[in-house]
Amino acid sequence: MKLTSSMAYKNPQEIMFGKAIKPVITKRGLKIGGGNVIPEIVPHPRPGREKDKGTLIREFERANDDALERCVNVGHPYLVIENEHIYQMTNNPSWGGEIAAQTAHQMDEYKDKYGLIAAYRSTIADIRKPDIVNMRDSDQTRKVFESFNECARHSDIVSIESMGGKEIFDYSIIRNDITGMLFAQAILGGRDVEWIWKQIVKIAKKHNCIPGGDTDCAQANTAMFMAGGFLSKNIPHTLAALCRAISAGRTLVAYECGATGPGKDCAYENPIIKAITGIPIATEGKTSACAHSALCGNVIAAVCDLWSNEAVEFHDMFGGSSAAVFTEILGYDAALMNASVELGYQKQFQACLIASDRYRDPQAFILCPDNAWTIGKAITDNSESCFTRARAAALKCGELILGDPKMMLTAFENKSLLDYLKELDSLPDNEGDFIDICLKKYSKVKGFNPASYGF
Amino acid sequence: MLTLNGEIMKTKTSSIFTRFDINLEVEKQKVRKVSTDELLQEVADCVAEGDDDEIENIVKNVLKTKSPVKVIDEGLIPGMNEVTRLWDEGVYFLPQVILSSDTMIAGIALCEKRMGKLMEKKGKVVTHTAEGDIHDIGQVIVNALLNAAGFEVINLGADVPVDEVVKACKLHNPVMLTGTALMTTTMTAFPKIAAELKELGLNIPFVCGGGAVSEEYVISFDYGVWGKEASQASAMAEDALKGLSWQEIRNKWNG
Repeated sequence: MKLTSSMAYKNPQEIMFGKAIKPVITKRGLKIGGGNVIPEIVPHPRPGREKDKGTLIREFERANDDALERCVNVGHPYLVIENEHIYQMTNNPSWGGEIAAQTAHQMDEYKDKYGLIAAYRSTIADIRKPDIVNMRDSDQTRKVFESFNECARHSDIVSIESMGGKEIFDYSIIRNDITGMLFAQAILGGRDVEWIWKQIVKIAKKHNCIPGGDTDCAQANTAMFMAGGFLSKNIPHTLAALCRAISAGRTLVAYECGATGPGKDCAYENPIIKAITGIPIATEGKTSACAHSALCGNVIAAVCDLWSNEAVEFHDMFGGSSAAVFTEILGYDAALMNASVELGYQKQFQACLIASDRYRDPQAFILCPDNAWTIGKAITDNSESCFTRARAAALKCGELILGDPKMMLTAFENKSLLDYLKELDSLPDNEGDFIDICLKKYSKVKGFNPASYGF
Repeated sequence: MLTLNGEIMKTKTSSIFTRFDINLEVEKQKVRKVSTDELLQEVADCVAEGDDDEIENIVKNVLKTKSPVKVIDEGLIPGMNEVTRLWDEGVYFLPQVILSSDTMIAGIALCEKRMGKLMEKKGKVVTHTAEGDIHDIGQVIVNALLNAAGFEVINLGADVPVDEVVKACKLHNPVMLTGTALMTTTMTAFPKIAAELKELGLNIPFVCGGGAVSEEYVISFDYGVWGKEASQASAMAEDALKGLSWQEIRNKWNG
């Protein structure tokens, strides 16, 4: 696999929401990244609806129909619906397939009846837990691919939140071990993403389905979640920021294997990915407060193509079901961004999105388009290996945070960051040497099976 | 300063957001002295620093002159207590607690080897992550904190079927059971476990938490106590150890 060594965007000022260098077109003609921001709604079933196939299919039928209907009722012209598989949908591949077929049918009906252009993304659950199964050879692995096959037949886009490296990452993050995190994300994660995405792309192409993309949710979002708000004392926010920069190299592998975007909403590294690849991306911010808190609620929209809500449990609200309500909110946000484009105010609008979060937290700061682009440049300038580009991204990320006096840090956050950068600097320059050190260092971590990654 | 079409925009961040925490940082506090004995203090300091590379040398050295029980009771555990105090006061972050816990456990293992028997623990806690759920970092943190607090952790791991959890409770009769889940569609295993425990007459507080697990859901079934944060686990286990019923623990921590 050839690693990316140039930037799709020659400067950060060119990157704008709604428009990507390499837009994609779905089965019903929805152009993503073609000039408009499009809402992407992600409804999640209520507890108990997973008890059998019938109740689950009915749950998604209602949720997805509510989303489509609300678009028609308030005049949102485009919609992407993502159904993230719950465990049962991938563990029983026909379940996910039947839900995909049902949703495709619903979308066809709304198109025929009202002209609404919608697309469906199936995100397969990665049920391969690295410390439980061999990632490359297990029943769970086979079910994951079977699910891709079942869903790609009916869906417009397929994606996954892959789990490679999670066992070493979880061990490392709670021990403040940036070396272990780098090994988990860049080396183990990178290898697993390559292994799985080469196969996903083949499956998607066979079914005329778009191979969307991956996310380092299992790792970088664990760090973001643990970092929490300003009162949390779990891990430093500067560590979560470095972790995000590292994650970009891992997620990038999927696109190097043939994924075309739209990237997954929960990949907060996506602004870096868009700067490097030019593919359209989904992002989520204030609209995903229903699922988790974050410190980049506005800025993360600055270069989005799909605007998502992460996941909202399907239930009744005063204004209708949560699927309908969040579709309406997302659609109005998208309308606002699209109106700014129509009026020629998009740069000003984007500047407001950025300014409102830029110095809120280092995690937001590094995702501002200028900083995301600079981190991307560090990645492409250090394309000798997954290791070199991930380390370069982390070092650049730290340099940016420390280099802007308006980026306030507590003394502890500051000292932690300096310590991480020192540790990253001390690592060997060669990927092979780094891998040798890490295979030895982490050999006794419970459940770590190097064979899962081809070692 | 933000660049917009070549112009420099001056942003007054104070009108946009407030970092309430920035001046609230707890002044760096030192680990208090826990022993007048220099060697035992060295053990405690090593635990407080979370230096699991050094603990072996230090403990082996102390064991030349002191009993393993003394090393545990007056060095390792007081050192860990200091770490817990500093975490509670907002000085230490979670990784420091985990590293100290690893260090203490390594030290205790050396002492146990010398004693020829295992150290007596406060009580057993069975922990698991729900069937169908592989997101177990919350459980890993709970395990480390319970270990650090002196409990024996029966770690069943992730994706554990209901029957296995019940079987483990029957076998170990723990003071408390914990369940972790990220997904709302896997937490549905929790009331099934509680119902089976009830049927068997195993009256065990069942602390459930993680990701999307809500208080409303957990207190909807008997034995359920909602754990908002992993950091609450050891204090809840202490309550269970004192003999508080699941209703009393629920009343104290929930609602």
